[in-house]
Amino acid sequence: MFRYIHSKLRFWQLANHNGADANHSGNSQSNLFDDLNKNLTALKGVFGNSYDVNMRGFNFGDQGVTRGAIVFLSGMTDTAIINENIIKPLMYDIRLSSKQETSPMNNMSIIQATLLTVGMVQKASTINEVVDGCLSGKTILLMDGSKDALVIGTEGWETRGVDEPKTESVVRGPREGFTENLLTNTTLLRRKIKNPNLTLETMKIGEQTKTTICVAYLKDLVPPQLIKEIQRRLQRIKTDAILESGYIEQFIEDAPFSIFSTVANSEKPDLVAAKILEGRAAIFVDGTPFVLTVPMVFMESFQSAEDYYSRPYFASVVRLLRTLAFFISITSPAIYVALTTFHQELIPTSLLFTMAASEEGVPFPAMAEALIMGTTFEILREAGVRLPRPIGQAVSIVGALVIGEAAVGAGIIGEPMVIVIALTAICSFVVPPQTDSGSILRLILVVLAGAMGGFGIALGLMGAFIHLASLRSFGTPYLSPFAPLSTQDLKDSFIRVPIWAMFARPRTIGWHDPQRQEFRLKPSHPSEEDKS
Amino acid sequence: MKNRMGFILEIIICFMLILPISGCWSRHELNSLSFVVGVGLDKAEKPGEIQLTTQVVKPGELKSASAKNKSSGSGGNGTNAYWNIKRTGYVASKIIRDFSHESSHRLYFPHNQVLIIERKLAEEGIQKYIDTFIRDNETRFNVLIVVSEDRANEVLDVSPELEKLPAINIAKLVETQNVTSESPTVRLIDFIRRLMNKTTAPIAPLIRVTSDGNEKTVEVFGTAVFKHDKLVGELNKRETRGLLWVINKVKGGMIDVAVPSGDGTVSLEIMRAKSKMTPVIQDDTILIKLDIKAEGIINSQSGSEDITSPVHVASLEKELSAEIRKEIIAALKTAKDLNSDIFGFGESIYWKYPSEWKKLKMKWDEVFPDIEVALNIDTTLRSTGNISAPAVPAKE
Repeated sequence: MFRYIHSKLRFWQLANHNGADANHSGNSQSNLFDDLNKNLTALKGVFGNSYDVNMRGFNFGDQGVTRGAIVFLSGMTDTAIINENIIKPLMYDIRLSSKQETSPMNNMSIIQATLLTVGMVQKASTINEVVDGCLSGKTILLMDGSKDALVIGTEGWETRGVDEPKTESVVRGPREGFTENLLTNTTLLRRKIKNPNLTLETMKIGEQTKTTICVAYLKDLVPPQLIKEIQRRLQRIKTDAILESGYIEQFIEDAPFSIFSTVANSEKPDLVAAKILEGRAAIFVDGTPFVLTVPMVFMESFQSAEDYYSRPYFASVVRLLRTLAFFISITSPAIYVALTTFHQELIPTSLLFTMAASEEGVPFPAMAEALIMGTTFEILREAGVRLPRPIGQAVSIVGALVIGEAAVGAGIIGEPMVIVIALTAICSFVVPPQTDSGSILRLILVVLAGAMGGFGIALGLMGAFIHLASLRSFGTPYLSPFAPLSTQDLKDSFIRVPIWAMFARPRTIGWHDPQRQEFRLKPSHPSEEDKS
Repeated sequence: MKNRMGFILEIIICFMLILPISGCWSRHELNSLSFVVGVGLDKAEKPGEIQLTTQVVKPGELKSASAKNKSSGSGGNGTNAYWNIKRTGYVASKIIRDFSHESSHRLYFPHNQVLIIERKLAEEGIQKYIDTFIRDNETRFNVLIVVSEDRANEVLDVSPELEKLPAINIAKLVETQNVTSESPTVRLIDFIRRLMNKTTAPIAPLIRVTSDGNEKTVEVFGTAVFKHDKLVGELNKRETRGLLWVINKVKGGMIDVAVPSGDGTVSLEIMRAKSKMTPVIQDDTILIKLDIKAEGIINSQSGSEDITSPVHVASLEKELSAEIRKEIIAALKTAKDLNSDIFGFGESIYWKYPSEWKKLKMKWDEVFPDIEVALNIDTTLRSTGNISAPAVPAKE
């Protein structure tokens, strides 16, 4: 069935793609005229009557007779640069300099070479280039009698400052997070990895939005096939809009119908840097702080940046706890349902009596209870996230009181079920990347447990494992390093060995340049160091 | 395309339909089950009939019920957290099914803690009644077996002081007996194993109701000795420990010995015990060698003599060995009188001399009373407790 849907989708995509192409093959490729008025009219035709488009005509040159114009979008440009470094040199400084040198003012090259005191200046000869430049915050200099235009880098707009990420907070470790600005984001990365090999390749995706996408990787670490594959997948995206990296994620992921994500995302530069240093590639999308990293393995969900900053014992314990919490969060309602409806003999006697006492008079079967409470919890969670913070807290409190207290008091829900769901809820937040897949898996398991008991849970988990083992993310087995087993990489799985003991990059990811560091980096006594 | 889609949808729907179908199979909500915690077997008035008492829990009352409810009687009224359902009949398994005439909930046996058999019934043989408790898939092998002097339904109606459920009280009572090792803890599986063995005799702890005015309590005393499936006699507490020494089941207990100089007595607590049984057959005489190792500590002393010197300790150890020897010999004598191989001598011979056993098996009843036992008891005193010299008032 998936294949069928897939082919249907592909058909739609192709149809749209062709239509879009037909629309766009207009006059966008046409060249600029050598007449200023004609050019301005053409640009006006492109932009329409948008209020933020500024076209300022002026006379300049030593005689003040050459007619020129600058075109820019206010709000996306830095007016100080335009005033000081474009208009002032052209209209004022030029008169101070000697006349013989600057007389042939009809030459764009001379302006570019001698007058404009801006770092980034490019020549453009088509309307398309001019419009694109304008839309990305550049200023266009047009001149009467020239078939070329200058695209001057004057980007500057309001951005949110580098802030602590809301999703991945740490106790120890850098607190900066990515912002919505692509340049800021890549800069944050570059500041972590000061290496000319750090390649930042950009492309524009989105017929309407023309969003800048940037693929970042370390040239000598990353397998070339990976970059080729990423580029292939990105280039086939022909869509209207890319508003968030989630759009890209859904276009490039390996298993679009799986409940598990095969593309990781992060808001933290240190985390993205670490992943790039393991041989992965990062995909930055302009306009979102969430940066994608590929390939992703399942174990990544259980790893946090802080694991590597804290000492190995605690990090290992925390990893194990996370694994346990994930397991609890997906299985505990199902296990409860299975135990109370099928395997009462497995419950310790005194606990059974307590549970039976709480369930006495409860009108619903345990499975219905689990589903009701699970749904209620998901609704509460969603309400708490969406509402403004102060109201969100109120919702949580009302929800906890009403659902927790009143439902039990009224005898609609048994107390043990409330405890189980509460435990599940807390545990599900321990592994944020798998929260969404976890809640779906939990639902499936509850239904299976209600129908078939422990056997159903076993079936469900087996199915989940088979599915996980079948997944691949950009060629990397999703369950690595466990399946296929790579003993060396188990050092950074459920446990984390000290940093000095992790010689190699993950075998399934960083195989292009496997060695991360020297051997024998274990801190030792000076006398021992002499020996070696 | 349409067709394939429909086909796939059909398969998915079929799979989804399987889920509710299987739901009818063995699914029981907690509030549709009655949990049986104790079962009593009594002789009924009509010959051949038995009365089966099952004690089921009322979970809702468990929280509120007072641990002690003196207005007991038939049970099931007042605030008792249990309900004793009684029915008579010829076949235990049929009675169990017949309980559905009285109980709106399905009786659920896996949490049954104790199986109480009335002594009178046990004397007539119990094989035909307990078979269902072994054969049924819901009952468990680890249920405790006890034999009651009084009627089992009365024992199951004695409200305990510390527990809310009489059956749980009896079960815990029997399990606590390893503090003294004066009463065995026998589970159904042990009982069955002995029963199915041709020569080894089953044993079970004996309980009875003692009353002190209005206060009724259940107490454990001694051991019921079976021959095949019939109760033939009993061992008192001392003999029981003698038996437990032999079958390596002593977990603790106190033994009083006299101080060699005659100044009071010393109570020794057994901390660790181990026994090994080795049969030796030589020229038609059977000798069972028993190696018993015991470790004890001094728990109390009634005299004022300092007994921590090695000489004293050695003599105390000797006294302890002698006491253990007496206990074992007492147990042996009773077992031989009853001609009931409660020690499993026959089984040990079977393991070591399988070919000889084939002949012995047939005439075991004649052989058993004449078996000789060689005891080798090795005792050690590990410590004198928190103090060494006894706590005595200073002499003036």
